[in-house]
Amino acid sequence: MLSTSDIRKGVVIRHQGDLYVVVEFQHVNPGKGAAFTRTRMKSLGSGKVIEVTYKSGEAVDIVEVQFITMQYLYQSGPAYAFMNMQSYEQLELDAGLLGDEAKYLKEGIEVVVGLYEGRAVSVALPKKVKYTVAEAPPAVKGDSASGNVTKEVVLDNGLKIQAPIFIKEGEEILVNTETGEYSARA
Amino acid sequence: MVSWRELRDNPRARQLLEQRWLILRLVREWFWSRNFAEVQTPLAVRHAGQEPYLNPVSLTLQDAAGAPYPLQLHTSPEYSLKKLLAAGFPRIFEITKTFRDGEDIRGLHHPEFTLLEWYRAPGTLAELMDDTEGLFKAIGEKLGAPTVGISGESTSVKGAWKKKTMRALWQEWLDADLNNLLTREALAEFARARGYAVTAGDAYEDIFFKIFLDKIEPRLGREAPLFVYDYPSQMASLSRLSPRDPRYAERFELYIGGVEIANAFGELLDAEEQLRRLEADQAHRQKLGKPTWAVDQDFIAALRSGIPAPAAGIALGIDRMVLLFTGARGIEEVIFHTLGDQWEQQN
Repeated sequence: MLSTSDIRKGVVIRHQGDLYVVVEFQHVNPGKGAAFTRTRMKSLGSGKVIEVTYKSGEAVDIVEVQFITMQYLYQSGPAYAFMNMQSYEQLELDAGLLGDEAKYLKEGIEVVVGLYEGRAVSVALPKKVKYTVAEAPPAVKGDSASGNVTKEVVLDNGLKIQAPIFIKEGEEILVNTETGEYSARA
Repeated sequence: MVSWRELRDNPRARQLLEQRWLILRLVREWFWSRNFAEVQTPLAVRHAGQEPYLNPVSLTLQDAAGAPYPLQLHTSPEYSLKKLLAAGFPRIFEITKTFRDGEDIRGLHHPEFTLLEWYRAPGTLAELMDDTEGLFKAIGEKLGAPTVGISGESTSVKGAWKKKTMRALWQEWLDADLNNLLTREALAEFARARGYAVTAGDAYEDIFFKIFLDKIEPRLGREAPLFVYDYPSQMASLSRLSPRDPRYAERFELYIGGVEIANAFGELLDAEEQLRRLEADQAHRQKLGKPTWAVDQDFIAALRSGIPAPAAGIALGIDRMVLLFTGARGIEEVIFHTLGDQWEQQN
């Protein structure tokens, strides 16, 4: 039995007999008091999302999950192929597991996959990923000079994001995968 | 987050930090114009606070002869500021960095963060509520931001703010009378009946917060900022018990959009009672297996020498305030060169 300090995104918790993967967690210390861990977790069976608040230090039934670094190779129909960087074995992950985050995939990027009894239960992308700008419309005369105007650019993996007007084709930029936003030039 | 590269290349990131620095200026101007003296107190102190659940960072400095000075980075400037009240400064404020070890480095927390504290001696909680509301409204007006928000939700700071007792909140959201739940036994029974796990090690406030964080806190301050006041006496901390009803303590917290922004006390000025509480906290730390240190006797001496009564003081998280005014997603977006950023650079 582990405790709340072992709660991370992607760990699997046995809660009231069912298995849940942690999607999000947050520490709260109300009024300088004891710390609590607010956890949002998704049932591995039904996919239902629940919220549970644990007191810090409380015993939590965290089941063994292996976290393995894998490199993205290519899309294969409705699945995505990765290579296990330890064993060099290939593994296909279901599109459902990646959800909307699949749009950040780009050949060669490394992700951390959580495996529970051989089954992939979570995928963590790097927080910032570097892309090359494939298409960027030139800045148009008359664009606001406020410095806040953005334009849509297309990245080398096909992802479209808003970037400042001064970003040009061929530049390398960093994208924050948590917010989906432009971060800075690489 | 917030690296110099982002400040250089990302107009949104730059604007967030510019707003932060502007807000700091507006806060100072607001207090200066109301005859509060801006003061400074040490970050590294000989005796940090005794709060059982806060973890100060320890360090040792040496003088030129190599003599060691074991110190802790303060978790709040509270003791030092009350010493200034005892020295005869009636209205003071400080904007300072504070350090709490073992905290998250994103979302609503960062181990090094910026705290605004101000005190009135003499002064009351009602005056601090007025100060807080006035401060937010003045800043909102200067920034042209009548609403503040977190996670895409918005709360108006312009209209009337609300005040509710903790008891009224338990009535509203749990249909329970807190007057009947002021002992550990009664609260534990109530919690168990509602499916909460209660263990032998849980103190009154642990059980209280399990329920409060789950059923009440996320709903607070959604439509308008809300002051929650009159906390059960078990959660008095450094506040005095209410003269109206000593089962409750003179303490309030400000919530906006479900987030705790500020914590205020009608200050406990009774030196002997304060000493007893600090010793109890120290014993609690020991029981939790945490490092302990001597009670700050100089703080007790300051209380003995006398502070004009009643006195009231408040701590307000500046990073969270900036988060609300700018609509940033987490305080890591409004702090330059966070731990996350510094470590990302090294990898």
